[in-house]
Amino acid sequence: MTDLNIVALVSIGAHPASGRARRAEQDARAVELGLRLAGKRLRVLHAGNPREEALRSYLGMGLDELAVLEQPAGADALPALADYLADAGAQLVLTGSQAETGEGSGMLPFLLAERLGWPLVVGLAEVEKVEDGSAQVLQALPRGQRRRLRVRLPFVASVDSAAPGARQSAFGPARRGRIEAHEVAVVEDQLLAASTLQPARPRPKRLKVIKAKTGAERMKAATAKAAGGTGQVLKDVSPQAGAEAIFKLLLDEGVLR
Amino acid sequence: MLNTILPILLFAALALAVLGALRRFRMWRRGRPAQVDWLGGLLKMPRRYLVDLHHVVERDKYMSRTHVATAGGFVLAALLAILVHGFGLRSQLLGYALLAATALMLTGAIFVLKRRLNPPSRLSKGPWMRLPKSLLMFSGSFFVATLPVAGILPEGFGGWLLAVLLAVGVAWGVSELFFGMTWGGPMKHAFAGALHLAWHRRPERFGGGRSTGLKALDLSDPSAPLGVEKPSDFTWNQLLGFDACVQCGKCEAMCPAFAAGQPLNPKKLIQDMVIGLAGGNDAKFAGSPYPGKPLGEHSGGPHLPIVSLDGKALVDAETLWSCTTCRACVEECPMMIEHVDAIVDMRRHLTLEKGATPNKGAEVLENLIATDNPGGFAPGGRLNWAADLNLPLMSEKKQADVLFWVGDGAFDMRNQRTLRAFVKILRAARVDFAVLGLEERDSGDVARRLGDEATFQSLARRNIATLSRYRFKRIVSCDPHSFHVLKNEYGALGGHYEVLHHTTFIDELVRQGALRLGRSKADSVTYHDPCYLGRYNGEYQAPRNVLKALGIEVREMQRSGFRSRCCGGGGGAPITDIPGKQRIPDMRMADIKETGAALVAVGCPQCTAMLEGVVAPRPEIKDIAELVAEVLIEGAEAPASQPAARREAAEVH
Repeated sequence: MTDLNIVALVSIGAHPASGRARRAEQDARAVELGLRLAGKRLRVLHAGNPREEALRSYLGMGLDELAVLEQPAGADALPALADYLADAGAQLVLTGSQAETGEGSGMLPFLLAERLGWPLVVGLAEVEKVEDGSAQVLQALPRGQRRRLRVRLPFVASVDSAAPGARQSAFGPARRGRIEAHEVAVVEDQLLAASTLQPARPRPKRLKVIKAKTGAERMKAATAKAAGGTGQVLKDVSPQAGAEAIFKLLLDEGVLR
Repeated sequence: MLNTILPILLFAALALAVLGALRRFRMWRRGRPAQVDWLGGLLKMPRRYLVDLHHVVERDKYMSRTHVATAGGFVLAALLAILVHGFGLRSQLLGYALLAATALMLTGAIFVLKRRLNPPSRLSKGPWMRLPKSLLMFSGSFFVATLPVAGILPEGFGGWLLAVLLAVGVAWGVSELFFGMTWGGPMKHAFAGALHLAWHRRPERFGGGRSTGLKALDLSDPSAPLGVEKPSDFTWNQLLGFDACVQCGKCEAMCPAFAAGQPLNPKKLIQDMVIGLAGGNDAKFAGSPYPGKPLGEHSGGPHLPIVSLDGKALVDAETLWSCTTCRACVEECPMMIEHVDAIVDMRRHLTLEKGATPNKGAEVLENLIATDNPGGFAPGGRLNWAADLNLPLMSEKKQADVLFWVGDGAFDMRNQRTLRAFVKILRAARVDFAVLGLEERDSGDVARRLGDEATFQSLARRNIATLSRYRFKRIVSCDPHSFHVLKNEYGALGGHYEVLHHTTFIDELVRQGALRLGRSKADSVTYHDPCYLGRYNGEYQAPRNVLKALGIEVREMQRSGFRSRCCGGGGGAPITDIPGKQRIPDMRMADIKETGAALVAVGCPQCTAMLEGVVAPRPEIKDIAELVAEVLIEGAEAPASQPAARREAAEVH
């Protein structure tokens, strides 16, 4: 355990089968990681309704209290969170990758890190050690790979399903834990107010045609990357040349017009 | 000389016994308060002892007769010895009476000794091996010492040598039998046992009654402990109950988890609670340890946690999670100790306070909270199994004779066959029934037995609220677990219903002549009694009657009826999945194969799943509803109601 000053950001989740409010899966993993690092000193922060019962299931993981920046639905959580965190002396802010309710854009960690001017590590799997004002962490990459990073404090990190699974939430601590509501200036989310929401459609998956004859080939096919085949690796090029190559690719793919 | 020594010995031992009793009583009272009928309980105690307890002991005729002789002889001998040798009432009549009493006790003691010559492994050794000798000493010494009183031998016979021998014998005897009783010797079972019967936590069990529902936790009081963390969190009469254990090991012999090599032995667990009550470690425990757990490594005290999640305390968590709550131990216990209550009490602490339900436990509880079913299935799919059956819904009918409680088996493809078979039977018998459909939720059985009382109460209260909106005469369920919970555990939360298991209901339909049945083609069939139908609710006969009505002759297993061995599926045991040396369903399948049956009739979705999980070749497994539906003659008018066949009371062993 480190004496790091850690804040985990949590949201209200929704069970995929029933839609019932619950602790969000990834956010609970962020709390789990925080508890493993800081134990009871972990601070947990939510922006929204402090009377939401589902918040108690975070407390049930063994927290004494949970701070809530009180906001009505539809308010922008970002300014409130950023203001709070800037003053809170946090050295590590843990979040999930994407909320299960609301916009669920997955943008919050990025916007937050930008606003705070801190680095962001996505897919944090483990914090190995903290020394001299920087942390050595493992970042999860696809197919079980890990990348070791050294990040200076303070930083924001988002966790996904590569982080350790959340511990059970127990009724006793959930009932005892305190939810402390803080009053904050409510900023309306202009973008959300102006746009209409519609249910997301799952992105179609590229079909993998498996021509394998043997078990070994099938295994290889199952574990291989879905190959695009057109990628290229740019090495030892100037930033200018790199940026131009990326810009050209985006134009070719029709992302930029 | 004896005339001065014996009164001193007797009264000293009695005084010490009284001191010990007070000390022991204070130990029990460290527990939490419990409502007991102090005087009424004491008055009812002799009857409970002589009738209810004797019924249990009587299953083992040898021990029952031995105990009647020994205990009966002892009580008489002790009272008379106090009169004759204590107060010196040396009448010849009393002398003869005392001789008869000690002779009776001596005879009993010889049989106790015989049982101890080559004791079965379930019996505790250690101080218990000393007990028959102490009994012999007590009865023998008083017998000889009384001979002069009766005038058979002259006063002063044998001189000082015999007097010294008798004094030693009496001293040994009264130490064991008088003050050993209250200072923790083997005879403690008589003292604590008698009071345990008087102030039992389930007085409804006496006089032929039944009380098997778990007791509700008061969740409205935030200061009340959530389950049992330390021995002093038990109610005081639970502690008293633990102290009554006679270490006969009948529970151990019946426990499926112990037989499977899982780290549980109900006898040891109760003894560990006694260690917790008095403080100390388990090194001196003289019976079988928990499989795979050596003695001497665990210790505890009244105010120390029973389970330590990161080290060793009194009991390891996996011991508590090995229990299938099959109640075989409680059924066998001649002291009527409530093992399952204690285990669930301790599980409650682990789940509600520590969040430490092992293996899939946390996931199942989370699913129950989020989707009202343990599998985490979308609640909207609860009626998919009956998509083509056009089942009458309570929400449309508002009332029906029978509310068919479907249970979570609705999500299980195997159990859906049973459910569909039962619907076929209901339709053939023209029963006015309806289902709750999507309004039904898990009954809370698994949550409660995994210690999650909060989730149980939440599910139960919502189910009760739903049920209160409709009018029905009875609830019928194909799942003995839902049946038990609805029948026996919803009452404390305000839900009182008449609930039937589907086999009871089918039996009734058959007796009313509402079903036209052919003869089953299954020729060799055995029947597996589900714990929650049999031991929990006493229904052994109806399933057998139904099978008989199908022309099936049941080949009984050696362990059937109240001694039925659990399938391993109760109490959340498949979810917590504590490893052992073998699997409980495999052992049960071995029991089934022993009968030579090609088919085993079952009446429970859990039993079906557990037994079907045994690898082939093995007998086929079919629910009684399926067997009935197979031979149902449909279409024609139901025959005119025949006079109900007399329901025979059959002995089930």
